Amino acid sequence: MNRLSSVPPGVPPRVFDGGNGSALATRMRALRRGWLQVFGIPDYERYLDHHAAHHPDDPVLSRREFFAKAIDRKYCRSGPRCC
Amino acid sequence: MNKLTSILVWVVIAIVGAIAFAALALGRGESVNAAWLVTAALSVYFIAYRFYSRYIAEQVLRLDDTRPTPAVRHNDGMDYVPTNKWVLYGHHFAAIAGAGPLVGPVLAAQMGFLPGTLWILAGVVVAGAVQDFIVLFASVRRDGKSLGEMIKMELGPAAGSLALVGVLAIMIIILAVLSLIVVKALTGSPWGLFTIAATIPIALAMGIYMRVIRPGRVGEASVFGVILLLASILYGRTVAADAVLGPLFTLTGTELAWALIIYGGIAASLPVWLMLAPRDYLSTFLKIGTVVALAIGIYVVAPPLAMPQTTRFIDGSGPVFSGSLFPFLFITIACGSVSGFHSLISSGTTPKMIEKESHMRFIGFGGMLAESFVAIMALSAACVLDPGIYFAMNAPAAAIGTTAANAAQVISGWGFTITPDMIEQTAKDIGETSILSRAGGAPTLAVGMAQILAKALGGKSMEAFWYHFAILFEALFILTAVDAGTRVGRFMIQDMLGHVYKPLGDTQFLPANVFATVLCVGAWGYFLYQGVVDPLGGINTLWQLFGVGNQMLAGIALLLCTSMLVKMKRQRYVWVTLVPTAWLLITTLTAGIEKIFHSDPKIGFIALANRFSTAAAQGTVLAPAKSIAEMQRVAFNNYLDAVVCALFVALVLAMCWYTFKICRQALRQTQPTAHEIPPMAPAQGAMA
Repeated sequence: MNRLSSVPPGVPPRVFDGGNGSALATRMRALRRGWLQVFGIPDYERYLDHHAAHHPDDPVLSRREFFAKAIDRKYCRSGPRCC
Repeated sequence: MNKLTSILVWVVIAIVGAIAFAALALGRGESVNAAWLVTAALSVYFIAYRFYSRYIAEQVLRLDDTRPTPAVRHNDGMDYVPTNKWVLYGHHFAAIAGAGPLVGPVLAAQMGFLPGTLWILAGVVVAGAVQDFIVLFASVRRDGKSLGEMIKMELGPAAGSLALVGVLAIMIIILAVLSLIVVKALTGSPWGLFTIAATIPIALAMGIYMRVIRPGRVGEASVFGVILLLASILYGRTVAADAVLGPLFTLTGTELAWALIIYGGIAASLPVWLMLAPRDYLSTFLKIGTVVALAIGIYVVAPPLAMPQTTRFIDGSGPVFSGSLFPFLFITIACGSVSGFHSLISSGTTPKMIEKESHMRFIGFGGMLAESFVAIMALSAACVLDPGIYFAMNAPAAAIGTTAANAAQVISGWGFTITPDMIEQTAKDIGETSILSRAGGAPTLAVGMAQILAKALGGKSMEAFWYHFAILFEALFILTAVDAGTRVGRFMIQDMLGHVYKPLGDTQFLPANVFATVLCVGAWGYFLYQGVVDPLGGINTLWQLFGVGNQMLAGIALLLCTSMLVKMKRQRYVWVTLVPTAWLLITTLTAGIEKIFHSDPKIGFIALANRFSTAAAQGTVLAPAKSIAEMQRVAFNNYLDAVVCALFVALVLAMCWYTFKICRQALRQTQPTAHEIPPMAPAQGAMA
């Protein structure tokens, strides 16, 4: 069963952070993020954006650390999957 | 869209749906096209979504976009992420769609295409989509809590613990039945087994690539993975024909069962990044790709349905599973119309990613409609097959023997004309030596899919490729589910053991982990082995046990939703959950009790157990047992199945009692008593 532990305090809603560059670049970035999310693939860029926006003073995980952590969390404590 | 256009559009959809249903139900004598089946289903989905889900969203649940969702309140960039509604729809669908909607409808096709179609469509609108939607709503309003935690909150701690025991029991059965499907598909199939075995080194290589060589580059690794998978399907033909490798990959059912048990134990003990995660990505890509390809294929090829509307087997004498239409159709098709397992997903990762409350209608209700559509396609693919071939593949050896000649004679005797040549030719077309008694849904669906896809792409010569592609697609996500399910089962077992003896619950303590893993694998492995040696083919027993358990879980989830509506003081709308609850309870309790006590040994566990133990006492050996000891084992296994079934029945009755008690209390209160998070509460106050 899922555990809800060490959840940080609430933060304001933000769906797609960032948005630098041309409209096309933004669109491509949104598409890429959507694609990753559909397949449940951890998104390092999103994490970086989130980190920069909300915890700029804390140390940042490297890409490698981030993936290790995200994958462990996804499978070690996620609920049962479907038939 | 202005009002008039809107009305016109919905009238047109309703008319198209009505025409499609007329074609399905009235076409006597001539075969009906599968495109009508799919069209009828789509019209039902659109109308149900537009009208019924809107009613639930606006009147019953009163979704409120001003209430912050857990994703907004706890946004941490990892687990809690407000997610675009279309993206989350895809994610949720990938999480709920598994082998279930593919297998149940194929088994139910023995009664003809109409009973299965009607139950899938009625079930999803009235029960399945409602359950997924309302459980999702309940979880979002409770900070993303899981089903077990919500039952504890709303129905009390005793009910919560009981529900957890039930969930664990269902998990064990589901792992066993999924493994059994793989065993049935791969027995004596060197091509299939080679392809599936190749996924292990491919996944390991991907895992190492993503972790060590190019950390986090899932896309690159997946491209390599998919290419290697396709290569392994092509190379499998050579392996099967090879004088040395061919026999090496030709295993019997019991050998495969042991291989899977050992695999399950090892796979669940490896680090998740090494095999589970990469294979999960591969299987999700294949899953979504194949479902889309099949949908397009059915419309492009528009194959006629060879199976009649109904067959004589609605009387309960069917060879695939025994028992009459009521209640057994309703537990055979679970996923696709209503599946208790979805309540675990709808209270798992999805509620933590909902951006706005109003999105839940599309994701919860709409997501289940897509799963139901997969079930409809599986049913179509099975019914496209010649019924003679369908029964040759799904009837147990005890009924049709082990040779094509014998099978053709028996099946023609049932009224489905077939020649031994046709059976052998079908096997040859798909690159296998035999198609007889491959129950379990996967191979049947694979043959159906191969025929449809080959007509659309590549022609007859590609049928063998598509068959093994379809087997790979199913086995891949079944093996992922076995791996992930064993891990979840282990955590649940450790959770429970921790209450008995503390060190056993410590997930950082290696011996405790190993112990719980062995317990979990041992439990599902036991049922798997029993299924493989079962005289009636195993699926007959295990799939129905799973169906009873899964539908009971749906009943429990809907009881929770019912109590929640009453506690919210929305009792005028309680019929929305009470009607499906009542239907599920009626069908599953009837099925559960019949499975235990029915006097026909093909249906009742105790009757079969008695038959074997009586014969053993008299010293007679009944097939397929070969000794008195085996006879006693069959008897014991069936008593055990009766106990598991009784556990499910007792569990759901207990939940009914708790719900009744809580609802009566809540009705006496003048204020709502549901444990929802207040509309604008700060996040800290939310944690219980």
